[in-house]
Amino acid sequence: MAGQYSRLLDLAKVQCRVFSLNFNPERLRLGNKVLRQRLRGPALAAWYPKNTVSFRDLQDTCKPLGLTTFDEAEDDREEAIQIAKLRGKGRPKKKRTAAESRTAKKKK
Amino acid sequence: MSQFRAKKLDLSGFINSRIIRDHTKRKVFEQYEPERQALRYIIRNTTLPARARAQAQLQLSQMHAYTRSTQIKNRCVAGGIARSVIRDFRIARYQFREQALAGELPGVKKASW
Repeated sequence: MAGQYSRLLDLAKVQCRVFSLNFNPERLRLGNKVLRQRLRGPALAAWYPKNTVSFRDLQDTCKPLGLTTFDEAEDDREEAIQIAKLRGKGRPKKKRTAAESRTAKKKK
Repeated sequence: MSQFRAKKLDLSGFINSRIIRDHTKRKVFEQYEPERQALRYIIRNTTLPARARAQAQLQLSQMHAYTRSTQIKNRCVAGGIARSVIRDFRIARYQFREQALAGELPGVKKASW
């Protein structure tokens, strides 16, 4: 009977070696289940959609090369600002010093 | 925490501060996951010296909260809502309804019988 048990152990040992498992007949807690777990990080990190190349990126790469791009939205914006300025509705001049900002407040 | 946040935004689509925070946590977790697993292995292995295991426990408990997977929460990709998010579509229930009715989700059909 004892011989049979040792033979079974040998079989288990070979089995573990073939399938690259941990041979642990005493059933010690070796923490191997932690090593067997797959890493969840890459799957979790891919939840939100990643940034893709945009027209803005293309513009940014073109600018240092001296190339100009035409952006209709930006053009419209600048035109609207020009019109607002002509109507006297542009942004107020930036106050550079503390004294300037004080006089601006008093006028109100 | 700001020390982990990407200097340049690397997300597209709907973005709010909570989405950025959660995304940061996800990336930090991904980065530190091997380290955490190694420490967990040392802690679980009863054949290692008790001192080493206690040290590993201490080290694991002192790692930053953002390296923990439990900090991660699935949020709606289209609206940032954290409640009732359907995992298969990564969308919360109302966005799911809107998009499904608009026919933007392939294979989703309103049931009627």
